Amino acid sequence: MTLAIEPTTGPERLRFALWDITTTTRRYVLRARRQGDVVFGSLLMPVIFVVLFGYVFGSAITVPGGHYRTYLMSGLFAQGTIFASSSIAVAVATDMSEGVIDRMRTLPIARSAVLLGRTISNAIIGLPALVVMVSCGLIVGWRPEAGIARAVAAFAILQLFGFAMAWVGALIGMAARSPQSADVLSMLPSFLLGFISNVFVPTTNMPAWLRVVAEWNPLSTVVAASRQLFGTGEGGPVPDVFSLQHPVAVTIGMALVLLAVFIPLTVRIYTRRVR
Amino acid sequence: MTGLAIEAENLTKAFKGTQALRGVDLTVGTASVCALLGRNGAGKTTLLRILTTLLPADTGRARVAGFDVVRDPARIRARIGVTGQSATVDELLTGRQNLEIVGSLFHLRRADARARAEEVLDRFGLADAADRLVRTYSGGMRRRIDLATSLVAAPPVLFLDEPTTGLDPISREQVWKAIRELVVESGSSVLLTTQYLDEADRLADTVVVIDSGQVAASGTPSALKRRVGQPRVRVVLRGDSGALSKVLAVLEPVGGVGQDGTVVVPAPDGLASLTDVADRLRALEDEVEDVALAHPSLDEVFTALTDQPFVTAPSPLEIVT
Repeated sequence: MTLAIEPTTGPERLRFALWDITTTTRRYVLRARRQGDVVFGSLLMPVIFVVLFGYVFGSAITVPGGHYRTYLMSGLFAQGTIFASSSIAVAVATDMSEGVIDRMRTLPIARSAVLLGRTISNAIIGLPALVVMVSCGLIVGWRPEAGIARAVAAFAILQLFGFAMAWVGALIGMAARSPQSADVLSMLPSFLLGFISNVFVPTTNMPAWLRVVAEWNPLSTVVAASRQLFGTGEGGPVPDVFSLQHPVAVTIGMALVLLAVFIPLTVRIYTRRVR
Repeated sequence: MTGLAIEAENLTKAFKGTQALRGVDLTVGTASVCALLGRNGAGKTTLLRILTTLLPADTGRARVAGFDVVRDPARIRARIGVTGQSATVDELLTGRQNLEIVGSLFHLRRADARARAEEVLDRFGLADAADRLVRTYSGGMRRRIDLATSLVAAPPVLFLDEPTTGLDPISREQVWKAIRELVVESGSSVLLTTQYLDEADRLADTVVVIDSGQVAASGTPSALKRRVGQPRVRVVLRGDSGALSKVLAVLEPVGGVGQDGTVVVPAPDGLASLTDVADRLRALEDEVEDVALAHPSLDEVFTALTDQPFVTAPSPLEIVT
């Protein structure tokens, strides 16, 4: 008969679920290490961004009361949180279309394990690129001006928000018809969010209608939180928008709301998927 | 436990207007192989998805390994192995890593997972390739590692969706051998879907022919073949046209000429009919190459049952006993 061991009590069930999540995470981290080209690209991107925006565009941009590249770096750290979501969307949609998700669904594992493994491993896989980004920042003169404790808090909040965005990507991947449509569905919003914002320039000089969009853009709040905690300057007066006045609290709140909505929703689709 | 590996009653399932299953009954005994034979779109995969807890049926009930698919899906998942149509192993991991991770997801103890991985790698002739990335495997090796992953936890019930589609003849033999050994050695039960008549013939204890979401026929391969037509004796000649008229004269009035130029005689009494034909041909020994008893092929069975020729099968073997 089967060798599989089944949990019988509540605590045992929880212990098994944690084991399942650890195993799926390990699987995704293991496979990521083998994708040399992808790893190389992900390490190169931060360098390109810093050179492209910091020096090419930065040579013509000045921000009030500060140094542009310092201003930019805190923005780039925040922008990084939304890019992962689209790679997750494509990966999940690919797993769906190739029958990998179905195969996993026939295994005796926690219903949330596959998607949690995906999102947690994504954060782990992103760490080397973050280290490169920090190194680039330090080279071009960016410093965590507000002290190490606040810098650690900044990275923690950015990771939390990135994790929440990963779940948005996972839902898009589960719901998309194909990997291609997942790509389009996830790239477009992250492109718009990433650029109609305060990542690269202060919103002050934008046309009024665009300025409203940029200031209410959730990513702008994350960027503001990042700038506040790193102490790298706001690039002028802070707009009179509630979320930008209290960016740290609002960012944490947004992340928690996203997680509370998207985790159950995505796991539900995973459990009930009918094709 | 009822002693049955799988029992399904009156399963129906509709997708947006199309009726995929129209009341399917199915039983698979312990330690036996059942082949679901049908064309693309006949409902085989839908049935498999219901039995593997992936899809709820509209009506009817089903039990797998003694548990109800609706009430106890988690218990079923701990007792089944599933291999899909496409290989779903991770090609960026080694064969061994794939097996150990699946073992870990079945909550095997670490040492057990290792030992089992080693065991199934051996069984499928993959021991030498165990530590290579699956990406470097040939098509046949991938299918074998895929099958191997569903065996890590030694599940009592195994579901194989078209296990040899797209494989070369040698790989097919290897997969078939592994499936048969599994049943004999571990007493596992297997439900497999196939479009290949020879596969059903070679592997299955029982064949269930599915057509348009219904069971068109079921039984042992030989019983199904008997249902369609009686066996016959085939006489292969040595060549020149003079031989044909001489042989036909001896075998009158029953003999006819088959499509391939052989002489065919109905054999309602099986071996006795064969002996009779052989006796009559004794004087013409020099004209005759071969005399053999032949049963109808599953190909003919399928055509007779579903009113349509079976086009997807690769040159079906005629079964000669």
